[in-house]
Amino acid sequence: MPLRLSLICLLMLLAVPARADTVLKLFVSGQVSQPVIRKALDRFEAGNPGLRVQIEVGGATSDVQAQYLNTVLSASDSTLDAFLLDIIRPAQFATAKWLVPLNSSIGDPGKFMQQYLPEYAKADTVKGDVVALPAFADAMFLYYRKDLLDKYHMKPPTTWDELASEAKTILAGEHDPSLQGVNFQGKAIEGAVCTFLLPYWSMGQSLEQGGHLTFDQPAAIKALAMWADLVKQGVAPKNVAEIATDDTRKDFQAGKAIFAVLWSYGWADFQGADSAVRGKVAVAVLPSVSGGKPASCLGGWQWGASAFSKHRDEAVKLVKFLSTPAISKLLAVDASLLPVFPTLYEDPEVLKADPWFAQALPVVQTARSRPAVPIYNQVSEIIRSTVNAVLAGTKTPESGATEMGARLRRVLR
Amino acid sequence: MSVSVAGARSSLRRHRTWLDPRPAVLAAVLLAPASLLLALIVIYPVGRLVWTSFLQLNLTSGVPAQFAGIGNYVSVVQDPVFWQTLKNTAIIAVVTVPGALVVGMTLALVANLPFRRRWPVRLALLVPWALPLAFTGLIFAWFFNSQYGVVDDLLRRAGLPQPIWFNSVVLAMAAICITTIWKTSSFVALILFAGLQAIPPELYEAADVDGAGRIRQFVFITLPMLRPAIVVAMIFRTITALQTFDIPFTMTRGGPGDATRTLAMYVYQNTVDFLDLGYGSTLAVIMFLISMMVSVVYLRQIRTQA
Repeated sequence: MPLRLSLICLLMLLAVPARADTVLKLFVSGQVSQPVIRKALDRFEAGNPGLRVQIEVGGATSDVQAQYLNTVLSASDSTLDAFLLDIIRPAQFATAKWLVPLNSSIGDPGKFMQQYLPEYAKADTVKGDVVALPAFADAMFLYYRKDLLDKYHMKPPTTWDELASEAKTILAGEHDPSLQGVNFQGKAIEGAVCTFLLPYWSMGQSLEQGGHLTFDQPAAIKALAMWADLVKQGVAPKNVAEIATDDTRKDFQAGKAIFAVLWSYGWADFQGADSAVRGKVAVAVLPSVSGGKPASCLGGWQWGASAFSKHRDEAVKLVKFLSTPAISKLLAVDASLLPVFPTLYEDPEVLKADPWFAQALPVVQTARSRPAVPIYNQVSEIIRSTVNAVLAGTKTPESGATEMGARLRRVLR
Repeated sequence: MSVSVAGARSSLRRHRTWLDPRPAVLAAVLLAPASLLLALIVIYPVGRLVWTSFLQLNLTSGVPAQFAGIGNYVSVVQDPVFWQTLKNTAIIAVVTVPGALVVGMTLALVANLPFRRRWPVRLALLVPWALPLAFTGLIFAWFFNSQYGVVDDLLRRAGLPQPIWFNSVVLAMAAICITTIWKTSSFVALILFAGLQAIPPELYEAADVDGAGRIRQFVFITLPMLRPAIVVAMIFRTITALQTFDIPFTMTRGGPGDATRTLAMYVYQNTVDFLDLGYGSTLAVIMFLISMMVSVVYLRQIRTQA
């Protein structure tokens, strides 16, 4: 009797996994809301019986995620089937052959990519191959304290000089020693690259064209000097070399800054229940240098399928599903993530959930992409460490720019 | 085993079989597993590292690996960041090794005092040692933060100027050295404490009889008797100082600029961030050689003494 019972048990154990589902692992960055991604994946699973998707979360910043993915993928590890990528990664990942080329899965690639915002279509196409599909958009904005600007009858600044003079007036009037004029990222992180590029681009310069360096030293000196002067004038905090992306969010949310240069994710937090600036915040296009054009740094994330996946076809299917207008809309409505389809910025449901997206479209459309080169990480490191040193005051803008140029010439010819 | 070997030797005429091998063969067979293991976990990886250091191998270049001869080594010598990181690493070693030795010696002497309850003192000795390096770095990064750090607060209460530690080349390095000394001196103290306990008490009794004071006893008994323990502690401390990574990585990320970037951080950056495996391996080989040289110097010290 006991023998037969145990045999039955054994049979039952064997019977359960007989029709096992294919399980895909999707790597998602820590700053994206898990429940919303889960919701999207539930829809995918409902439409694709036999496929299940697990979320793997890692790293709260783009740098940390890249370190993780670099380790996993340089070991040709098949654990991850698809991943969310920062806009600066597709060129590097495609050159390392870590991404499944998608041309054969999307019909006419040129036509298919036309549905997205053009900068994303460009960033996800490497040497004619579509290697990733846009997930959600992002750009840097100027957040400002509407209540304070109204109190002093000021308009949002259109140039950085104007921003400095407005901030000085407000700081002088408020007598609050903990209030900062403008908060931005000076720590040696990815955000510091954008810090440098904002005024540099605004002067009409670019860093790279077709993989060749187009570094303009006088413009670089001016860009670095502009930020260093803001620190010297007391408009930017003295410890700005310590400030990382989320520190800007925290300081502004605590009501400690008049202006902040930050990605779009700040908005939801600033309007949250525990925000000191709830209802007192507005968003504007970032200022330009005097005589220049306004410029913003383009962010945003992409879905890519891993070349090492054991289920490549299913992974491509998942990536395509996640990059549809329906999911982009879900991410916009439920997680306040900017859509990658221009048409969604006029969608009544999206605008009802995020009324400020109407102002965001022109920013996202005019924002510029950081150099899409495979050795981007080296370029980034050179720029961020220089920005950090100049803001800390250990290098002058002149010596910083000279060194930056020399080091960039070593890696980009 | 030795019995059977001896037996084999005594019966000279016996035919040798695989069950009864020659002593030399037996030795080789017995040593094989250990040698194999060593080859697998030391010789193969180090050999592979050295081989990779002669390759042009960058995953983001899109071209397969090519033999580059000493090309990477030439690039290293011409790389200003390499010299900067080497200098930073040397500063950390020169400051924190003696620093940890002095603090560790003090702690060991205190722990060796005849307390009624010894365990709280000894436990306190263990805590910094047991804390992971990266946590230590994160904790001290908060301590030295210019906005909400406890160091800043203490300086304000004392009426002293409150610098922005991580804005200054010298102070950022000082913060890292202070943290490293705090973290590593307990390890030094543990080794020295064990050494102190091994010194026979009769020596001190005899010195008392001869009328030697505390300081003379320390200089002429404690220090010479502790010398082997000190050398061992110095070897470990120097090698870990040359490999310093976690504390500056979590505290400053190498900033401001490259002012606190260490050689180990530069190896990591080239291999993991830049995926330049050839260049990263070259840097790692150089770091390995430096560690080897330092170890040889110390080991000579022990040998000449013995």
